[in-house]
Amino acid sequence: MSWAAHDLEPYAIQRHSRLKIAFVPLLLGSYAPDLMTKWYVYGVHLGPWKLKASEPAQFHRGWPGLGFTHSFLYGAVVCLIFWKVLGSKNWGVSFMIGQWAHALTDAGDTVGTMLLFPWTHHFAVGAWAYAGQTGRSTDAAAYFSGLGGMWDLVWIVYGFYSWRVLTRGYFEQRVFTADGFWRIANKAVPMTALLVFYRAEFFYGTSRWIAWTIWAHVVHDYPYDLSWGGPHWVHAAHS
Amino acid sequence: MKRPDRSQLITLLGYAGAAAIYITIGVLTTDFLLSVFVAAAFLLVTVWVVPAIVRRIV
Repeated sequence: MSWAAHDLEPYAIQRHSRLKIAFVPLLLGSYAPDLMTKWYVYGVHLGPWKLKASEPAQFHRGWPGLGFTHSFLYGAVVCLIFWKVLGSKNWGVSFMIGQWAHALTDAGDTVGTMLLFPWTHHFAVGAWAYAGQTGRSTDAAAYFSGLGGMWDLVWIVYGFYSWRVLTRGYFEQRVFTADGFWRIANKAVPMTALLVFYRAEFFYGTSRWIAWTIWAHVVHDYPYDLSWGGPHWVHAAHS
Repeated sequence: MKRPDRSQLITLLGYAGAAAIYITIGVLTTDFLLSVFVAAAFLLVTVWVVPAIVRRIV
């Protein structure tokens, strides 16, 4: 799985797409697969009960399970719902692009994703270890010690290189005008606050990358292992 | 590559300051790092609400 990449990719997509992209559904699409699944992968406490998948990787990425949320078909179906039921092709296509980016990025780990569901074959590049089954802390430590964390760093560096996508001018000319959502929101919320909201996901992705890295390698002493499929000190799940 | 102008650098400094606080809290309490909604609310408060209040007072 990926951590900060899903926060950061939408800015690069927004910049390079020749289509008219709506940022909010693009972001929703980028988060959607994990919104449905991650809470149950790590487990949550509900009073005296702990809800947690008995086989987290299977639940997250597999079938039976909710692995279909990481497939192209899922993005296409939600796209059609936005387009044909709710009447917004722009939101549908933007959601689909964000969700496809998520599914492709998560194919980078050792479990991979069922990109072509209902074909249940897992496309797995295997560059970094999938360790969701170990719990959130160990998963974070492993992720930010291997190539997954480095992949996030690529997006951070690229974001700073493309810093103009974060400027007020870019937001007002390209993002605000591409989607009626912003005009409606602007009736109740000042433009400056909308701009902060637009920048917030970049802020979140970058800041939490730094924070988790400090937590894993300064506060704790988890070793870096940038070898393919690493870090190998954690038990990685495979498809 | 065009370089940022003075006002853009000041904006960047504000965000960098907010990031420093967010990262410090996050390292000490990792639960703080788990939600994009918390991050967005934190950013709104630190780079919009607080400066607006300060400007009004000063």
